[in-house]
Amino acid sequence: MQPRKPRNPRYKPYYKRKVCRFCEDKTATIDYKQPEILRSFISERGKILPRRVTGTCSRHQRKLTLEIKRARMMALLPFSVHS
Amino acid sequence: MSIYEVMFILDPDLAKEGQEKVFTRLNTQVAKKGGEIFRMDNQGIRSLSYRINKKPRGRYFLCYIEGPGNMVSEIERTMKIDENIMRFIVIRMDKDHSRQDFEIIEENDSKETPEAPVAPEAPVAPEAPVAPEAPVAPETSGKEE
Repeated sequence: MQPRKPRNPRYKPYYKRKVCRFCEDKTATIDYKQPEILRSFISERGKILPRRVTGTCSRHQRKLTLEIKRARMMALLPFSVHS
Repeated sequence: MSIYEVMFILDPDLAKEGQEKVFTRLNTQVAKKGGEIFRMDNQGIRSLSYRINKKPRGRYFLCYIEGPGNMVSEIERTMKIDENIMRFIVIRMDKDHSRQDFEIIEENDSKETPEAPVAPEAPVAPEAPVAPEAPVAPETSGKEE
């Protein structure tokens, strides 16, 4: 591999690489019965946050969306939050 | 035979007899198909995230049933009809889970989320020796789905 060119600060702001919280911590389960955990992955409006915001891996994001939707059905999480 | 997790919300204003009625019907239905309810939890009255049938609260129940697949459609059908059941959800658990897994997961759950006033379980929770079970948790959670 060639040595990387120094980054031009005008393009692409540097950001810290996010890691999937559920890959990091294997004991953390994604479960619709625990809405407190799911709550950190939805916006204030109640929307599911995208992967690029939270940094979850695709596998866990898939599970997360499923469980959030289940939690919504059981009224553990809101479908939408009105101001 | 698979294990199903059934969660349902009952009308909080429903009297004790009404609740019993719902349970006995569920019991007979499951028994008729050769299944068994091996865990039933009353999670108490919790506030809902949004109103259902103009009610801000609901009484949550969580049960685990082992039984054949054709039992599920039967349960779902009657639960849809019943007006006292505000919401329900039936989820098939992973094949490699055994009954004991759910008992353990269940205990951990109730420990982590003590906000639910679990009436019948409350005296059991402090006595249960949860400490030796704690290291088992990561293995079981890793297997899930």
